[in-house]
Order: sequence, then C-alpha cells, then structure tokens
Amino acid sequence: MVSGGRWRFPLQLAPLVAAGLLWEAFGAAGIIPENRLPPPSHVLSGLAEMVTRGLPPGSHLLGHCVASLRRVLGGVVAALAVGIPLGLLMGRSAWLRSLVNPFVELLRPIPPLAWVPLAILWLGIGDGSAVFIIFLGAFFPILLNTVAGVRAIERGLIEAAIILGASRRELFLKVLAPGALPATITGVRIAIGVGWMTLVAAEFTGVKSGYGLGYMIMTARDIQRADQIVAGMLVIGLIGFAMDALIRAAERRLLRWR
Amino acid sequence: MNRAVVLLLSLALFAAAAPAAAAGEKLRLGYLRSDLHHLAAWVGIEKGFFRDEGLEVETAGIFNAGAEEMSAFASKGIDVGYLGMAPSVTGVANRAASVKAAALANAEGSAIVVRADSPLRQVKDLAGKTVAIPGYASVQDFLLHRALEAAGLAAGAVKIIVVKPPEMITALESSQIDAFIAWEPHATKAVTKGVGRVLLPSSQIWPGHPCCVVAFEGSVARDRPAAVQAFLKAHARATAFILANTEEAVRIGVQYTGMDEKTVRAALGNITYRTELERAPVREYASYLARLGYIKETDPDAILREYLDPAGLVKDARP
Repeated sequence: MVSGGRWRFPLQLAPLVAAGLLWEAFGAAGIIPENRLPPPSHVLSGLAEMVTRGLPPGSHLLGHCVASLRRVLGGVVAALAVGIPLGLLMGRSAWLRSLVNPFVELLRPIPPLAWVPLAILWLGIGDGSAVFIIFLGAFFPILLNTVAGVRAIERGLIEAAIILGASRRELFLKVLAPGALPATITGVRIAIGVGWMTLVAAEFTGVKSGYGLGYMIMTARDIQRADQIVAGMLVIGLIGFAMDALIRAAERRLLRWR
Repeated sequence: MNRAVVLLLSLALFAAAAPAAAAGEKLRLGYLRSDLHHLAAWVGIEKGFFRDEGLEVETAGIFNAGAEEMSAFASKGIDVGYLGMAPSVTGVANRAASVKAAALANAEGSAIVVRADSPLRQVKDLAGKTVAIPGYASVQDFLLHRALEAAGLAAGAVKIIVVKPPEMITALESSQIDAFIAWEPHATKAVTKGVGRVLLPSSQIWPGHPCCVVAFEGSVARDRPAAVQAFLKAHARATAFILANTEEAVRIGVQYTGMDEKTVRAALGNITYRTELERAPVREYASYLARLGYIKETDPDAILREYLDPAGLVKDARP
C-alpha cells in the first residue's frame, strides 16, 4: 500500500487495456471472426444498448443487476445465519461433529445445480429457488471454514477463558467467534464467489420476474447476439470483482486487532 | 388401395435412391431434444433412409434450443440441422452463423396451454397473466405475439417469461405461470398428464404456418451439393413415410422423446409434416423479429438472400 500509492490502480489496469487493444486489433484484422468473439468496441455498444433499450427490449441492465445481487445476498446471508452458529458449535463439540459430518460429506460434493429441478418443484421458478440454490453453494464453505477456525484456536486460550469464569455465552461470543473470524471471512469470500457462479446458471432455467444477469445472458443467447453475451459476462465479472474488493476492505477493518 | 399406392411410392423412391450419388459422404446432424417436429430426422436414421442415399449421417448434437444449435453451426460442429425457422432466421440476420434453409421439416404443431381447471377461455383472457415461452426469438415467441395481437392485446398486457420446456408443465401445475406456449409433444403431454388444456392450437393462430426447417451450414450448402441433395431426398422420403405409416412413426417418436405412446400419438395429429419451403412466411418471420428489436439486419430481402438455399426444396426460389 505504501509504495505506489494512488498510481497502483492505473498500473494494475495496464495489462487489461493492452489486452483489450490487442483484441480489438485482432478483430479489425479479421483474425478473430466477429461471430466467435466480437471486438471490445462492439461489446461496449452492445452494453450501451442493454442500458438504453434493455435486453429483452424493455428490461434494463440496472434491473438485472439488482435482481441478481438480491438473490446472491439472500442466499449468502441465509448461509451465514445457519453456517456460523452451526460451525461454532461443531468446532467446539466432537459429539456434534460426528453427528453432522456424515451429512455434510454426503451433500457437499453434490453440485448446487443438480438441485435445480428439485428447487423448482419445491419453491417454483421465482426468487425462492435461486436463493435456495445459492444458499446450498454458499453454506458449506462458510460452515467448514468456521469449524476449522474454531479448531485452530489455541486450546490454552479457551481453557484460560473457562478458568477465568467465562459463561458459555461469553465463550462463544468473545473467544470462539472472534477467533474463528479470519477463517470464516475466507469462507464468506469463497461463498460469495460460488454463489455468484451458481446464480447465473440457476437463472438460466428461467426466473419469474424476468430479471437477472443470468437470464439476460440467456436472452442474448436466444437472440444470438455474441456482443451482448460478452457484455453480460463483463458486467458479472465487474460486480464479482467489486464484491470481493468490498469484503477484503471489511476484512481489514474487522481484523485490525490482529 | 391406399396401401398399394404407398408401396408403389416407396418402391419408386427406393429405385430412385439406388444409384447413390453421395456415396461415402458424411454429414454431422443436429436436432432438438424431444422435439417431435424433427421426427423425419429420427425416421431417416431408424429406417436407414440416409444410408440408402449413400450418406453416413452421424448425430453430432442434441440441443435444448434453436439458438444453441445455431452456435454449433457457427463453430462448424454440425453440417445439417433440424431447427425452428425463427432462431435460424435470427442467427442469419445477426450474422451469428451462416446457414441455408433448404426444406421445411413441419408446419404447425405448437399450442397455447392453460391449466385444466383454468377459467381462461380465450386469448383475450390472458391479459395481466404470466405466459411462458421456450425462448426469445423462437417460433413460439412469434406465435404468442401474433395471437395476442389478433386478440387485440397490446404488447405488455401479458407478462412473458422464458421457461425451458421440461420445466413448463411443473410451472403450470404449481401455478407459477398461467399459460405456456410450446412445441409438441410438450403441449399434448400437459393434456395427457391431466395438468393442462389447450387454449389455442397454433394451427388457429396462423393456419399452415411453417415451423421447423432443415438447414445446412453455409459452406456445406455451397461446396457439397451432392450431399445436400442426397440428404433432402432422404428427408422427403422420411416425411412421406411418417404420413403413410403412423404406427411406425409413433413407435420411433416414443423411442426418441421418451414420452408415452398416447401422448406421442395425439401430438402427432397436431403436426403437419411437409417439406416445401415458401418465401412469404420467411419474410413474415423476419419482419416480426425486426419489429421486436431482436435482429440487427432488418431488410427482409437481404435476409431472404442469405437464408434460403435456392437449390433446396424452395417454392418460387427466385425473388
């Protein structure tokens, strides 16, 4: 952070800009056929069209972003609400671990997308099934990282807290939760990444509101506009990048004590 | 007497086919999953009609949507495919892929379906309801818009969303949607399953409307006329076979869609199998796609020149 200062960000962008220019040049020279990969200039005009006219016409880009973000946050928050308390308890209790672990190990390898048909059967094609599928993708990284975080806390620390008369509640809130926090945050970062990836595919099946970035890309595919498919992917990449940057900033604040 | 005519006809076709002009030519075929409109392709494979023309036809792709199949054309992963007129015209107009439509696969064969116990009785009643289509710029998207217009409903009076056909019946049953429009056998499946009722068959939306086509990848249409002609001959023979041998056609339809015999038999009755392509309906699809803002090239004559293969089974091939 110290060296470079405010020049760091533009410098980081330099390889991207260079790659973009090269890509444009390859497109203009006809080396990359337009129907395989349209050049950046076409992608940008496709993006502009998604803002002004919408895709499908009438459904604008902002609406797609908001709908997708809502689904991802809904799924991740639900995963946090279940995953952190359960993870703390499992990290502390060997008995609970041996009870829950077989289920975790059985369900975890199932790709969230394999749940799509069931999710639609149970929750319909609305937001509910998208949130459920994202929850499934986000839950396991949060749970497992929290469990590992608790188990990595020095035993002496926990014993000292107990000897000094900490109540169960105090032990969880003041020792275990903060101690596991670095690992939990890593879990959250993975979870949001997985959730974001899962979302797009979940929206491919159809959404009731007609909004969502995955739905938008599917529409671009339907009307066979490669420029808008790439533009949609770019938007997803940018939002994912911004979300990860936000978490890293939050991580630095939350873990100042380290 | 009918049987004798059919026998003579097939003998004549067989005799004509004997000197295989396309000996040893290989074509990679694509079609849509469980789409009964593409029955002629399956009959051609099962009955050896392609082989009789000296063609080696290999199924190289089974797709969920016409747009996906167009991507396979773009990457030259398939040489010939059965797919909807709307997605193929869209792909040509947006320069996503070069294909030439050379024959019709079927006409009609879609339907708007509502719940069996639905109070909806006519298209006008769909105002304010949610209707599912299998994809934007699909034949069904077009048919629904046409039906709504004919009923005097403005665009936007109905909420149109995309739900993929396998999910449509579940979505209808659980009241997620109020209606859907789909190709056969999905429309009939909803009825035989007791979930749905046909509100309007596509034969009443646009009588005799063309639906799916046989299209060749651009360079195949240009450079391999013998293979194209051989394929079209087998396609025409398979189409004639479907019309003459319902029982066998149903059996093959069951085999390829995985649906029950009752559904396939009923669905078959809603599809018109014919091979002749006409220019006027292609123009109509093109102007609708342009009006909805789906395509970049909006001059219908330019699209027709790109899209129709004059060497195929195209009526009045010249503009």
